[in-house]
Amino acid sequence: MKIKHSFLLTAITLTVFSCTKKDTTTIVTPVIPPSNPIAPGNISGLVKGTLTTGNTYTITSDLTVQLGDTLASQEGVTVIVTNNSQINIMGVLSIIGTKDKPISFNSDSKQPGSWGGFQCDSAQAVTIKWAHIDNTGGADPTGSARKTVFVAAPIKVVIEDCWFTNGQDDLLRMQKGAMISILRNTILSSGSTDGEAINLKTGAVGDVAYNVIYSQAGTGIKLETNDLVPFPQTSVNVYNNTIVSGGWRRGQAEPGRGISVGLNAKGNIYNNILVNDYQGLEIFADADSVNTKYGNNLFYASVDTYVDTTAHPNAAISIRGNFYPNDGIGKPQTTDLISTGIANLNPMFQSFDGTVAAPNGASTTNNFHLQAGSPAFGKGNATYSNDIGAYTSDATKSNQH
Amino acid sequence: MKVVWYLLTSIMIFCCSTVIAQVNVKGTIFDKATRQKLIGATVSLKDSKALVTKSVTDEDGEFRFNNVLPGKYFLEISSIGFKNYSQNLDVEDKTELRIFLIENAQLLSNVHVFTNINAEEESSSRISEKNANNIINVISARAMERSPDINAANVLQRTSGITLQKNSGADEAYAIIRGLEPRYNNTLINGVKIASPDEKSRFVSLNVVPSDLLQKIEVSKSLLPEMEGDAIGGTVNLVMKDAPDSVLFKAIGSIGYSNIFFDRKYVSFSKKDIEQKSLYERKGNGYTAQPNDFSRSNLDFKNTTAIPTGVLGFTYGRRLLKNKLGFLIADNFQNQYYGTNSAVYQVISGGSAPKLSEAAGRKISTQQLNNGLTLHLDYNINEHNKIILTNVFLYSYLAQSREIIDTAFVGGNGGRTVPGTGPISNDYLSITDHQFIENAKLEGRHIITKHFLFDWAGVFSTASKRSPDRADLKINTKIDTMHTTGDINGPYKFIQTPYYFDNISRIWQHNNDRDYDVLANLTYRSAINSATLELKAGGLYRHKTRYNLQDEYDLKPVANNGNGVKEQFNDINTTQWIVYDTHGTQAFDINNYNLFENITAGYGEAKFSTKRFDLFGGVRIEKTHQGYTLNTFYLTGVNAVTKDYTDLLPSVMFKYKLNNKTNIRLSYFKSISRPNYYELVPATLLSNSTPTAESGNPDLKHSIADNFDIRYELFPGQEEQLFIGGFYKKIKDPIEYGYQGIESFKPLNYGTATVYGGEIVYSKYYGNIGITGNYTYIYSEISSPKFYTDFAAQTTVTRLQKRPLQGQTNSTINVSLLYKNDKRKIFAQLAYEYIGKTLARVYPIYNYDYYQSPQSFLALSAEKQLRNPHFTAFGKFNNLLNTPTENKINNLLVVKDNYKANFSLGLRYSN
Repeated sequence: MKIKHSFLLTAITLTVFSCTKKDTTTIVTPVIPPSNPIAPGNISGLVKGTLTTGNTYTITSDLTVQLGDTLASQEGVTVIVTNNSQINIMGVLSIIGTKDKPISFNSDSKQPGSWGGFQCDSAQAVTIKWAHIDNTGGADPTGSARKTVFVAAPIKVVIEDCWFTNGQDDLLRMQKGAMISILRNTILSSGSTDGEAINLKTGAVGDVAYNVIYSQAGTGIKLETNDLVPFPQTSVNVYNNTIVSGGWRRGQAEPGRGISVGLNAKGNIYNNILVNDYQGLEIFADADSVNTKYGNNLFYASVDTYVDTTAHPNAAISIRGNFYPNDGIGKPQTTDLISTGIANLNPMFQSFDGTVAAPNGASTTNNFHLQAGSPAFGKGNATYSNDIGAYTSDATKSNQH
Repeated sequence: MKVVWYLLTSIMIFCCSTVIAQVNVKGTIFDKATRQKLIGATVSLKDSKALVTKSVTDEDGEFRFNNVLPGKYFLEISSIGFKNYSQNLDVEDKTELRIFLIENAQLLSNVHVFTNINAEEESSSRISEKNANNIINVISARAMERSPDINAANVLQRTSGITLQKNSGADEAYAIIRGLEPRYNNTLINGVKIASPDEKSRFVSLNVVPSDLLQKIEVSKSLLPEMEGDAIGGTVNLVMKDAPDSVLFKAIGSIGYSNIFFDRKYVSFSKKDIEQKSLYERKGNGYTAQPNDFSRSNLDFKNTTAIPTGVLGFTYGRRLLKNKLGFLIADNFQNQYYGTNSAVYQVISGGSAPKLSEAAGRKISTQQLNNGLTLHLDYNINEHNKIILTNVFLYSYLAQSREIIDTAFVGGNGGRTVPGTGPISNDYLSITDHQFIENAKLEGRHIITKHFLFDWAGVFSTASKRSPDRADLKINTKIDTMHTTGDINGPYKFIQTPYYFDNISRIWQHNNDRDYDVLANLTYRSAINSATLELKAGGLYRHKTRYNLQDEYDLKPVANNGNGVKEQFNDINTTQWIVYDTHGTQAFDINNYNLFENITAGYGEAKFSTKRFDLFGGVRIEKTHQGYTLNTFYLTGVNAVTKDYTDLLPSVMFKYKLNNKTNIRLSYFKSISRPNYYELVPATLLSNSTPTAESGNPDLKHSIADNFDIRYELFPGQEEQLFIGGFYKKIKDPIEYGYQGIESFKPLNYGTATVYGGEIVYSKYYGNIGITGNYTYIYSEISSPKFYTDFAAQTTVTRLQKRPLQGQTNSTINVSLLYKNDKRKIFAQLAYEYIGKTLARVYPIYNYDYYQSPQSFLALSAEKQLRNPHFTAFGKFNNLLNTPTENKINNLLVVKDNYKANFSLGLRYSN
């Protein structure tokens, strides 16, 4: 993936140092002009072409990219969405920013739920890298809840190194055989009083790894297959994610899970850190439990009990008691790291304020990198990583944020 | 007719109270050829100056004039299909006559131009059935009045070959004729199609039509070219009451109760704060909805005691202006309270045998208020020209509360660990609906020459529904166990979370359907020796427009300020919400559309009739031009569609008259069924909880059927009959809902379906005891793709499965025992109905479908004329066996609806 990044830069300078500094080789490639550059300013209606680097665009009403057309964005583009508009993709979406010059999509009001996100139900391909996508959600004009990125087609979906904040409802919803690579993203404070962060259904396949999911209303990562059409099966590797303080905003009657596998889905669930989630890892009775493998997950609670003051009388909830919820069939594994107290198996985040439940859209300064000496190091399932969580000692794989 | 008799008696008593000896004149009228008694012949007694009195022969072919002053009179008798008869009559003493009428082949016997037989009597139904050109069943007003039923739907379900499709609240009822769903049938008022008050389909729910307004119901199972061609199962024609020959006044009142409300309370809600118009309609386009714009009292449910059901009605009719102007007005008001208690189970399949996934208890409380008003005026310009105006206005109001408490066993929110646990969601719904159906018909009949009859009609038909603020509240809780000791296998107690407010949706909906029809027919009739030839040609043009407008607002819970968790739910009056879609959905609601449909039809038909047989044949051509528009916010979406097709529909009928009491009929006709309007609209309803989207299908084709019928008919006497019939239908492009791929559920054409079956109808009296009944057997076959999972190969594919048509019942039996005592004026009827196994709904997994289990119903009705002969007391008792409705997927029970028995007691007055 790294190589691809470099290739797409307009000019790349690759300097190779030898330890003896004998030779210096500089390779210069020609500046490739963008195809069909889109002029900065207001855009709406049917579009195709490239949003060019450094420019600001304002979407004034729904955008539609037709079948066969491509909407691309170069690094460092700023897109402001007004009028609760959405972006409909029937062709190809290719939004590729860089670590230094990420792309930004936000509404003019910057309020949670104030624009419509990427509706790619019948897209041909979706790639989003190094982009900030903030304040999506809200109702579409027919009253339906809008996901931030919605794909319902057997296409390649690459969502990597992005930041998603303050969405409503489901954030990333992939179904109908979508082939996914959801890696190294940070999803913060999303879902109003409902909604999963990554909701995978009907035959979605691929990897969900190295993501940080903080304070999601519902479940962090949810796997399901269609009830009537169990095959092709939803089959996803869910590894090295850090999922913190999720699942509280729906209330006690519908607790969210850190990760759940249900309805004939299967997955490999390894090396995830689950902290202060209402419920931890749940394998539902209707999941393909025979083919679902899990272990090497770290479960921790920073408080003994969480007192839910919205309940009358207030209810004290034991987070540790819900690491493997009792209504599921998932069982603690010997490779798991399961904390038994505040002092036991603390993953040692760089900084964590101990938040349990927090509002949709709340800002956060937590840093989920691990301090040296964290018990998460070296305890991972080596098929995926030697370490547990989104930030690993292997910098090439680790979350880059 | 007793009515006339009473009337005459009273007139005589009041007007002629001078003490001159008065005598009674009585007579019986026969068909000279068959020696059968003639019902409905008009008998006029005139003196030298004018008409003295008039009567119509009753079910025994008898007429009587009581208290006639002795003198010289002139007696005139007319009856359809017979030559007029007249004679001088010297009345001196009590007189009894026997008169024989001669059949007149040259008269237009099938077109009831001037004479009325008394179509309300059951015996006249037999005559209609016998003389009809096609295969029909007729239910008379008398039979309906005496039955346990109060609306057209109840009546129809006792008719041969008909079952009813009901929804669970039992507030809608559509006829399934010969196993064919409502989409394959049509509903007429006085021979012309009614506009539908349903926002999506073409259907008219028959339970809004009070049976007291009807003269008869005709069910046609084969179509003539002169009839509308879009009925494959059959046509239900509701014939409204007609002006009587003499002053008629009838009134009815009854009171009743549904037993379900002895067991539980009626759940009601306040209607006072319901806004009749949506926010958009009240405040305009740019308005941003605020939380306080939504009322609470219609979601504040209260247990109350149900008020008794009541029915009030009257009919008044007479002829004026020297009998030239006929007039009838009838009104029937019904206010009913009924309920359903149900157990409803959701299933999951996972590709194999369905298993229960959720269990719900559902309680429905319904108030239905129906008012039907009909007005009939006819004017005989002269002997050859007549104009008739009929207006039917039906109003129905429905107020319904539904409570569903659902517990999940498995699923995305966990499930049940031990009995008594699991996530629970409660759903509370309040609905108020106003439905209007109006049908105005102006028609004329003109005998141009001896051989030509011209008739025409202009019809305006409109129907609408207004559902303001359909409010749906969802809350949830969860019950878990907590171990009271450290041992996870040890004792535990149940703990329940608070209730949380999930969601409220508020929907304002209204729709209107408007038809303008013109139709005209020209009939030529002539005798060729002893045979007759009838030629008929005509046409129809209908312009229909309709719209549906829906505006929905979703209210979502407010999050707690501190930690963002949603607030718990205590009661509706303290709940806070935010408006999720502050501008409503009216601009782009997927249910909104505007549609037009123009039908142009023409036909020609010929009937050659001899003493032994009738040969009838013709062809109809129907041209359909339709289109609709919808709003989509997708730039690439569909905005409008138009469709055109023309069908050529031949029809051939052969009737062999074995003797005067027996017919054998053969018939073939071609007919069509047009898709329901909204089924063509490609709006897609995305579901948030399942990946399946429901949508319409603009490529849907109309269904075309070849229909074959054979029937043996025997009419031994007055109300008696024996019909044995069989039919075969082949339907091209039948329409059913199904999956297209994994994620799309829509109406689709499924190749060719076949339906065949047999019907037996039998009525016979043995002295005072009568038995009437019918048996229907139906077999149907259609193939549709279903999901089949091969677990070894790890694939799910679609595989064609043969099954019956949706809605088809294999066997239906109706048997009624009748007791009729003319002397004591008692009539009682015990009605039994058996509805066999019915395919209720298609389940998408191969080899599994929802079947309704066989049901047996028992109903009783009885009436007795009181000492004052104007009054009759009656009682109606329905569902005496407390029969529930059960649906099963193979052997897995998924729905059980309990309605309980209901009864009513009342009085009828007739002059």
